[in-house]
Amino acid sequence: MNEIRLLFRKDLFILVNNIKLILRNPLRLIPYGAFVAYFFFMYSQRMSSSGDSKGKDLQNIDSSGLEQVDFGMQNIIGGITLAALGILIFQLYSSTKRNVSFFKMADVNLLFTAPVKPANILIYYMARSILPALGGSILFIAYTASQMAQSFDLTVGNMAFLILGMALFFFMISPIRFLVYTLHTKYGVMEYIRTGVIVVGIALGTMILIPGLMAEKFWQGMFSWIASPWFDFFPLVGWSRGIASYLSHGNLILSFSFIALYALAYFIVVKLVIQFAGYYYEDVLEATNTNEEKLEKVRGKKEVDEGTYSLNSKKQLALPDFGTGAKAFYWRNYVHSSRQDFHPLFGIYSLGMAGIGIVLAGLSNFDWFSHKVFYVYLILMLTFYFMAGIGRANIGDLKKPFFILIPASWSAKFWNMIKLDVVQTLIFAGVLIVPSVFLAHISFGLIPLFLVGIVVFYLIGFAINLIPQVALDEGWDRKLIKPFMIGGIFLFGIVPSVILSVLVFMITQQFVWTLFTCVLGMTLVATILLHVTLDVLKRLEFKEM
Amino acid sequence: MLVVNNLIKQYGKQFAVNDISFELQGGEVVGLLGPNGAGKSTTIKCIVGLLRKTSGEITIGGFDHLSVEAKRFFSYIPETPYVYDLLTVQEHLQFIAQAYGVKEWKTKGNELLEMFELDDKRDKLGRDLSKGMRQKVSICCALLPDPQLLFFDEPMIGLDPKAIKNTKKIFKELKEAGKTILVSTHMIDSVESIADRIMILKDGRILGNDTIANLKQQFVQDEGTTLEDLFLELTKDE
Repeated sequence: MNEIRLLFRKDLFILVNNIKLILRNPLRLIPYGAFVAYFFFMYSQRMSSSGDSKGKDLQNIDSSGLEQVDFGMQNIIGGITLAALGILIFQLYSSTKRNVSFFKMADVNLLFTAPVKPANILIYYMARSILPALGGSILFIAYTASQMAQSFDLTVGNMAFLILGMALFFFMISPIRFLVYTLHTKYGVMEYIRTGVIVVGIALGTMILIPGLMAEKFWQGMFSWIASPWFDFFPLVGWSRGIASYLSHGNLILSFSFIALYALAYFIVVKLVIQFAGYYYEDVLEATNTNEEKLEKVRGKKEVDEGTYSLNSKKQLALPDFGTGAKAFYWRNYVHSSRQDFHPLFGIYSLGMAGIGIVLAGLSNFDWFSHKVFYVYLILMLTFYFMAGIGRANIGDLKKPFFILIPASWSAKFWNMIKLDVVQTLIFAGVLIVPSVFLAHISFGLIPLFLVGIVVFYLIGFAINLIPQVALDEGWDRKLIKPFMIGGIFLFGIVPSVILSVLVFMITQQFVWTLFTCVLGMTLVATILLHVTLDVLKRLEFKEM
Repeated sequence: MLVVNNLIKQYGKQFAVNDISFELQGGEVVGLLGPNGAGKSTTIKCIVGLLRKTSGEITIGGFDHLSVEAKRFFSYIPETPYVYDLLTVQEHLQFIAQAYGVKEWKTKGNELLEMFELDDKRDKLGRDLSKGMRQKVSICCALLPDPQLLFFDEPMIGLDPKAIKNTKKIFKELKEAGKTILVSTHMIDSVESIADRIMILKDGRILGNDTIANLKQQFVQDEGTTLEDLFLELTKDE
């Protein structure tokens, strides 16, 4: 067990150095302090009003309602269960594609070649993976519980079982994924496992479809099976639900029984992993390397792989120059885009999304279909482009030396970096909105509003991604401040715009004025963010690994 | 010290290493040369156990290369020097000392840090080191356990001239101390003066495995031929 001691001591050093690092720059703690303050505020507010509301709830109970099914609660439980099942199936399926890795490349270079037993290293790292699962669960439960403080008694016991239920679920997924890949490398049974996962996925899908179709209304029946108490015995998802449901039944024995089931399952999985993994070093090399690269991308040290999502990577191109200076960035993006899709300006993804919108607009001519569905789709597209801006992949361009070295102004470089996105977005928006407006016989005002709106939403997302990348040095700060920034922009920019838009909708009952108000508000937010972006860009410096 | 018999490493239908056999006697220094994609790194990674061999037999000090006993015999200096982001240079040495059971590691560690000019960086975190410094840390970590057999995979990449000179000096000192070394490199001159033997790999096969003098005699007849000329002659495309 020398390995366990060795690795434990290494992790202790890492923990101490991490704390030292935080203490060296205490200002980094400000956003975290803001999180704590937020949770404290929410708890105190909700807890203080919880007594009154619980009393009122009890008074409002209708005696005849006791025998009725609470569809609202059933749908909440069913929805959460479905989400957990989705995660489980997705994780199992992805484990048939690539192995999970608990390691870092430093482990590969320094530890794998040392005289240590591979099995002991694996046992240590598998056990240690409870820490991120636990940490994530504590954060998540702290956040969601602050919203639930009004409705539930948040005792230590309740919180502990909620956290355990969630943490054990995520904790168990990694060893199971590892086992799946291990079984494949040992016996070459990947096809069988993949088929098995798909079959389970389909079976679970039918568990929602069948009761839904059998019920009077689909939404009343859809979760009646997976939200029922017997589903608590379904491995992992059900067990976690069984542990967390201590909140409602308060039965310690029951919840501990589910924890015992987890313990038993973990023991069996670890035994199997150790038995089948053998000399697993090569199996984890690729996944470890990929994880390391992802980490470097988050830190901005490495450019994003340009082959990602590429549909046309082998295409031969002979593009003329677009001009000198910053225009080279536009040219580069154009070449990249040509290889990523079938046309650099309008590809198959855009065609599909525009097509769906046009079909919805066409259907809105029929009585049984509403314009509202099309409007919701437009809002979805605005959100999608906002998210696309946040997840903009080639933000790593900023950290490449040529972004700094090319002789052109920062604003010209910035514009050329996003020019292709803006052009693509406008073409997509035009192809979607123009025929749709004519087909659905709706206001022409939607055409310019949607065109401006989609670009504005994209730019806001892009700025949210870019500002922390350039302005913050620490990768973890970036990860944590980004959601904080998004929260701030939502709170002070997007939410007021949306509230105003809803008010306008209530007064005018017209989507075009609603969109007008929203786009106006969001343009204001985008202008401020672009100003900040151009300001922080000047501070850009090249960082080499 | 090292025996490799009929080593094959296959990725799908492609042979990265195609049925190679060789031996390294104790105290021998062998240079592994070859163009990009020849299979040098793959061979070393198979030997140290980072890659699973498709077939063949490898023993180190008489033990199977994957056994803990075999691993006590060797150290490996990788091509890409990854270190732990949140361990200091000194803590890396301490970690290795524990892993290999080196009792009095501090004096040896200090000597190594001094030699590679890392003594003023001992408290620096891995994440704050440049690539060259990481490579130096990697070499220090490999030398700390005083292994009998050393595998260097492109050790000079990223090093400054002084560190390259020091590494060459270390090669000499290790050779004088009777250590066995297998070094894969593109820097032919770095092994020319110290290597007892040269192995030239191309397309996963060994094209030549002998002393430099014998190889020259065997493949190039001209007088004054350098190892570089010999390498280019052997690895040229047909």
